[in-house]
Amino acid sequence: MNNLNKHLKTIQNLKRKKYHPIIHEVHKTHKISKKTLFYVKEYGPHTHAFKTIIKESIKILLFASLISSFGGIALEQIKPFFISLFPLIILLPVLNGMLGNYGTIISSKISTLIHEGKIKNSKNLEIKVLFNELILISIITTFLSVTLAFLISLIFGYPVTLLLFLKIMLITLIDIFFIMIILFSIAIFSGLYFYKKKEDPNNFLIPITTSIADFGNMVLLFLLIILFF
Amino acid sequence: MKLFDNNFKEILTAQIIFVFIGLIAGTILAVYTDKILLIPGMLILLPGFLEMKGNIGGTLSSRITSGLFLGVINKNNIKTKIIKTNLLASFCLVIIISTILGLIAFIFNYLLLKEIIYEIILIPILASILSNSIELPLGIFATFYLFKKGHDPSNIMGPFIASLGDITSIVSLLVVMVFI
Repeated sequence: MNNLNKHLKTIQNLKRKKYHPIIHEVHKTHKISKKTLFYVKEYGPHTHAFKTIIKESIKILLFASLISSFGGIALEQIKPFFISLFPLIILLPVLNGMLGNYGTIISSKISTLIHEGKIKNSKNLEIKVLFNELILISIITTFLSVTLAFLISLIFGYPVTLLLFLKIMLITLIDIFFIMIILFSIAIFSGLYFYKKKEDPNNFLIPITTSIADFGNMVLLFLLIILFF
Repeated sequence: MKLFDNNFKEILTAQIIFVFIGLIAGTILAVYTDKILLIPGMLILLPGFLEMKGNIGGTLSSRITSGLFLGVINKNNIKTKIIKTNLLASFCLVIIISTILGLIAFIFNYLLLKEIIYEIILIPILASILSNSIELPLGIFATFYLFKKGHDPSNIMGPFIASLGDITSIVSLLVVMVFI
């Protein structure tokens, strides 16, 4: 046991990207998985877990925040008109969240497929099925959310017309469809890129896809509002 | 490979629940538009502010879930150093990122709208402190609870944190704006 504790302390002191034969030795001798050893090394007692979390998260979070903010700039340009569309304001957090969720699902699934060695390019049956599933789910949830947003608008006394309903439905459907294509393309290509660089795509794809979903959503909404109104 | 498999049902169910929670957040936003969105730069701030909660809270929950599954974190003891460090680091990240978001909105207000509004820096900092005082501890408790009940928190915590974050963020923005 003393020997194990000594080995674990040595592992904790290793630099993040440094490989040491002791990891393999402890894994073999004490039957501790490499994932557990990695976790102990990064976050275990007597490590600089606080520093590790801040250092590893800050860059990607900053990137995500910047991208999301740039999207907001486009919508800020037409704010007086945008805030007059009561149902679209109701839909804003729904759309952002929904696309963010799709970004998370796509990233997570594609990372797993890359790890399993099933993806060499975008022509993969599992990706096609996932794409079709998500498109179908997004159509169902879009119909539901737009209809409910209009019902809420009616309850609050906002004047609703059939033409406005159809325009907002179309804007939302086009927005989601285009962003889904962008998210799939980015997840596949950047996932393969990070994997080739010997990094875990899981750590990068979620912040990248969710921030691009935010950015794309805002810019596309801006363009579609100008086009339709 | 079938289209309407379990995967389809799980994603659809989670998304429908999310739509309902998102609509609550959207309704609060729409009803209080005059308080929230009329401040110049709020549409620059809002997407990043809402996204940040999911990114930071989601990864916090994910790290804790990994620790629970690996046995490094004891499921019966929540008050450990590793949990406190994770909570503190996440809280610091929230404050750093919300300050930067405020600064970005401030700069764009100045460059594009030629307006100097200092509140746009203060609002996200105060709102994020308020909302994360609820969201982060609740996220940790929910992760432990789900794990103890035999669920995999990874499948539930992502959408849960994002949805909870949308509501707490908008309400906290509103509260801060009322007091500023």
